[in-house]
Amino acid sequence: MISGFANSFRSWRQALSEKPFYRLLRHCIDRIFRGGDSSGDGEVDAGIGAILAILAAPGAFASFALSSKYGSFFLWFRAYFLNDRASLHFDPFSASLPDEYFFVVLSMVAAASIAIWKWDNLLPDRRDYANLVHLPIPSREIFSANLLAILLLTGILSVDINAGSSILFPVIAASSRGEWGYMAVFFATHLVSVVLAAAFGFLGVLALLAVLMAFLPYRFFRKSSVYIRCGLAIFCVALLATSFSEPRKIEHLQYSPRPWFAFPPPAWFVGLCQSMRGLQAPLLSGLARGAILASACSFVLAIGGYALSYRRCFLRSAETMINLPTGGGIPSRVAFRILDRTILRGPFQRAGYRFVLKTLFRSEKHSLAWIGFTGIGVIVVSQTVFAATSKGSPLVAVPSADLLGVPLVLTYFLMFGLRLAFELPGPLRANWTFRFGVDPGTRQSAALARRVMLTFEAPLLLLCAAAYARFWDWRVALIHTAIVAIMAVFLAETLLLGFRKIPFTCSAPPFKQTTIVALILYVVGLFAFSGVIPALESRAFESPFPFEELIVVLLSVWGACLYAARKNQTEPERRVIFEDTLAPVVEKLDLTFHR
Amino acid sequence: MVALEAQRLTKCYYSSLPAVRDLTFCLNEGEVLGFLGPNGSGKSTTVKMLTGLLEPTHGHILSRGSRIERDLVSYRERLGYVPEEADLYPFLSGWEYLELVGTLRGLPRESLQRKIDAMLELFSLAPHRHSAIGSYSKGMRQRILLIAALLHDPSLLIFDEPLSGLDVTSAMVVKNLVKTLGEQGKAILYCSHVLEVVEKVCSTVIVLRKGRTLAYGPPAELMKSAGQASLEHAFAHLVEGGDAAQTAHSIAAVMSST
Repeated sequence: MISGFANSFRSWRQALSEKPFYRLLRHCIDRIFRGGDSSGDGEVDAGIGAILAILAAPGAFASFALSSKYGSFFLWFRAYFLNDRASLHFDPFSASLPDEYFFVVLSMVAAASIAIWKWDNLLPDRRDYANLVHLPIPSREIFSANLLAILLLTGILSVDINAGSSILFPVIAASSRGEWGYMAVFFATHLVSVVLAAAFGFLGVLALLAVLMAFLPYRFFRKSSVYIRCGLAIFCVALLATSFSEPRKIEHLQYSPRPWFAFPPPAWFVGLCQSMRGLQAPLLSGLARGAILASACSFVLAIGGYALSYRRCFLRSAETMINLPTGGGIPSRVAFRILDRTILRGPFQRAGYRFVLKTLFRSEKHSLAWIGFTGIGVIVVSQTVFAATSKGSPLVAVPSADLLGVPLVLTYFLMFGLRLAFELPGPLRANWTFRFGVDPGTRQSAALARRVMLTFEAPLLLLCAAAYARFWDWRVALIHTAIVAIMAVFLAETLLLGFRKIPFTCSAPPFKQTTIVALILYVVGLFAFSGVIPALESRAFESPFPFEELIVVLLSVWGACLYAARKNQTEPERRVIFEDTLAPVVEKLDLTFHR
Repeated sequence: MVALEAQRLTKCYYSSLPAVRDLTFCLNEGEVLGFLGPNGSGKSTTVKMLTGLLEPTHGHILSRGSRIERDLVSYRERLGYVPEEADLYPFLSGWEYLELVGTLRGLPRESLQRKIDAMLELFSLAPHRHSAIGSYSKGMRQRILLIAALLHDPSLLIFDEPLSGLDVTSAMVVKNLVKTLGEQGKAILYCSHVLEVVEKVCSTVIVLRKGRTLAYGPPAELMKSAGQASLEHAFAHLVEGGDAAQTAHSIAAVMSST
């Protein structure tokens, strides 16, 4: 009987796989997951299974990490040994609010991140047009197959991201009550809210993409796409950061009615979860209404936007593929000519500078790297500014160390992002241009990279000078901008020590042994870079001696170290490389005795 | 029987830029029609209209007597198309891509697999059948496109630069294939810049310039009317491409100038 069932299932599957619509649906799902980089060679192809497994892991780990808060042993231990009597009257529903918020944020951000990552693959594009439209399939089938693929993926992702936490968290959190009914309610309410939050995150990004595609001119949409993705990524990081403050805010304001849209999206779904658990509070029911409305809106907007963009962009691909002549970019030509005469020395720097700048702005991968890091810097800085202003007025005679550190934090993230972007290879098949035309003995690659980094730093310095002059005075502005400028140059030099590549033209090994050490150094470096000198500087504005001298000494030592490090580099260590390989684990020593 | 007919075909982009104007021609079964023209003459636009990818601003395209837009799906079932650019999915292997196209065309699984294997073997792609298309050379991609266009045994074939990127052996195979398919009664529209090939394989030729038909007839007649010994010279004469030798000298002069 079992073999008969298996046979009929196999033949049903076989018949299904021969149906064009099913094949198209499978292709659409495949395209969304695997249709990333067009290079295709040497890329790590993370299959659907691997991606789903990775996505499910954080929720499961987070649930385990919470066992110390909810486990009955820990409650008993806290009540009797730490004298925490509240543990005896522990209510998992109300106590889990901050954790529910965290799971909702995690779920929403993970789903949105997938949508941001797969931004270019979610909707059918020109390649699909070129490959599918001339085949005998009605256009509505392509439309329906892709729509179905998107909805299926939304469902699968929403469930998968929360699969671990939905089972483990209710078990861990509600087990102290020992009631199956209670646990079932906990499980169901948690599952509904986190799954809805994930669907909202994914469909929200899709809706934005589809609406932009439907209404913006195609060329403008393509150009602005990378900035929108960066903005969304930064928004996701900001949402994660709300996990620390928002739950407390919701707990405090439960009984004072506020509009739901005054809270960030995760709060709406937490409100929905708590309302479904029967916790009656005006704020929670308002938030729950917001969650339902937002979910419905994102669903309708995503599907409506998809239909519109399909009609406006996909079906008209053949017409929009025609390249009309464009202008020559006169302002940029003038700017480059000025740079040629001022900071760029020699043909290599001139050509390389244009190449690097254009790649940083036009290649999505590289733009995402540096804009993403700068965005994180902006978030960190905004928290610093917010914290500094909330303590009291910052407009005292001398800016605090925190506020002096703002441009340094931004500089650090900007330069780190650029340095990382330089390491990311572009299409390596095209690097023959540089292999063919550049003298490998040139020492110019680090100089080129430094010039690019400092070009990006220049507007920041201007902004810094203007802001400090506006809120304090010109003396503070000039001194601080000069210090930031010197530190930016030193930081660029430090980050580029041993840099022997022309940006984007060299392969990158997947994982270097020194990566973890470097990562720790970068984190420590951030605190040293943005903390030490501003602290001394803030004191020096009040009483120059000995802080002024200390700043000079510290900067001089840093400069001298950099000078010595550069001097000690041997000729082979400076040669330009186009292939970066890992050092062998076992090195062969040439100890053969030669007569 | 007329396999494809264009009646006063016109296409204007953004309502101002006429890419093709009043193009009329007939393609009979068993005929290989060469489609020639310099860059920007409207060849690709015409091909896109003939494959149903673009809608003509004016005029009609008829296949077996009826307008193609009335039943685009059944028209495309009879059509095999090799586009100008091999824009394939880099994450699929050659075999997977062909299987996708064949399934979407509704070919039965077993015969499809047999055909794919045989075609890959004949086009010397069998060793690479399971490699990602992203790692293929231009010629290999082009061969995949050719197989995809032939898998369902179409009665009408549109080849847009089919020899692009192919090595000498593969190019010779394709040239002979075009001849053979024409002899078998298939209607073939052949767009190319390689005029020697066009001269050998096409029974009729259309020359376009700035979207207009400059000449339409058998290659021999074209050469005779232009008073030239080869189609290449006749073409240069017709499109007023200027004196190629003179242009080459001018380029050399610019190169050596400081």
